[in-house]
Amino acid sequence: MMEDETFTDISGKAISLSCQDHSSLCKEFVVSVPKVSIGKVMVYTCCVWLLAYAVFFFTENTAVLSSAIFITLVGMMLHIHFVKVDHETLLFIGSLGIQLSSSYASGRETTTFIEMGKIKDIVINEAIYMHQIIYYLCVLLKDPSEPNAVAHVVPLFQSSKPRLNCLVKVYKSCQEILSKC
Amino acid sequence: MVVNSPSPLPERAIYGFVLYLGSQFGFFLYCLWAFIPEEWLHSIGLTYWPQKYWALAAPIYLLVTLVIILVLLFGVNMNNTAPLDSLDNMTDVYAKGQKTTDCTKGEYPD
Repeated sequence: MMEDETFTDISGKAISLSCQDHSSLCKEFVVSVPKVSIGKVMVYTCCVWLLAYAVFFFTENTAVLSSAIFITLVGMMLHIHFVKVDHETLLFIGSLGIQLSSSYASGRETTTFIEMGKIKDIVINEAIYMHQIIYYLCVLLKDPSEPNAVAHVVPLFQSSKPRLNCLVKVYKSCQEILSKC
Repeated sequence: MVVNSPSPLPERAIYGFVLYLGSQFGFFLYCLWAFIPEEWLHSIGLTYWPQKYWALAAPIYLLVTLVIILVLLFGVNMNNTAPLDSLDNMTDVYAKGQKTTDCTKGEYPD
């Protein structure tokens, strides 16, 4: 069953959530962030190059122009490879574990797997982030030697930061699976 | 136990007025020192006073310090805020677990 509704992230930009039920114990949630718009790229490039031309106009040094081009290209490549996240996935397999993966705009994917023995709970917590207070979904991990204490906290959907309505949907489905196994 | 309150009192009114008069007078003296030429001050006998450069530099230093303090305050606060993956956002050593025993209806849990 595929669901696709428009949600927003904490700054108001539209994101989309798609939930897939593979079975009663296995669910996959994909939060997709809109792609880099061509308009923004063009505006940014024009501004940087106009600035470089203005500097060249006063200094008469052609190295300014070539270095501006080089910096723009390298900066954009680094941005889409390391910073710009395309979509984040949460794959919840009851009794096995959770797999979190982020895939970047250049195609790179980073994945982490957390086994069920280490998972204490999945909760929505509220915390101060910069100048605002946001809700975020996180996995509480426990040490097998001390099952009553929370050892680590792993926040989910860090790059897309969805708002509460999206988090509640994911939370409810995850709690259903957690209660079954 | 004396209760402290921020309400206006006659003593506080007097303190405020004295401070107001003092600060206005201090500003008047500062303006006098800043505007009167050095030769006149020397002729009165006041020779060992700071250079007139400081009449401009000191207020500017003060204002720039205030602006930097403002920026630093926000910066230090943001630096001390716990990151989202820290356990301090969830609990600390003083948190107590909830009692799992049920209480009868109408009683406050201990």
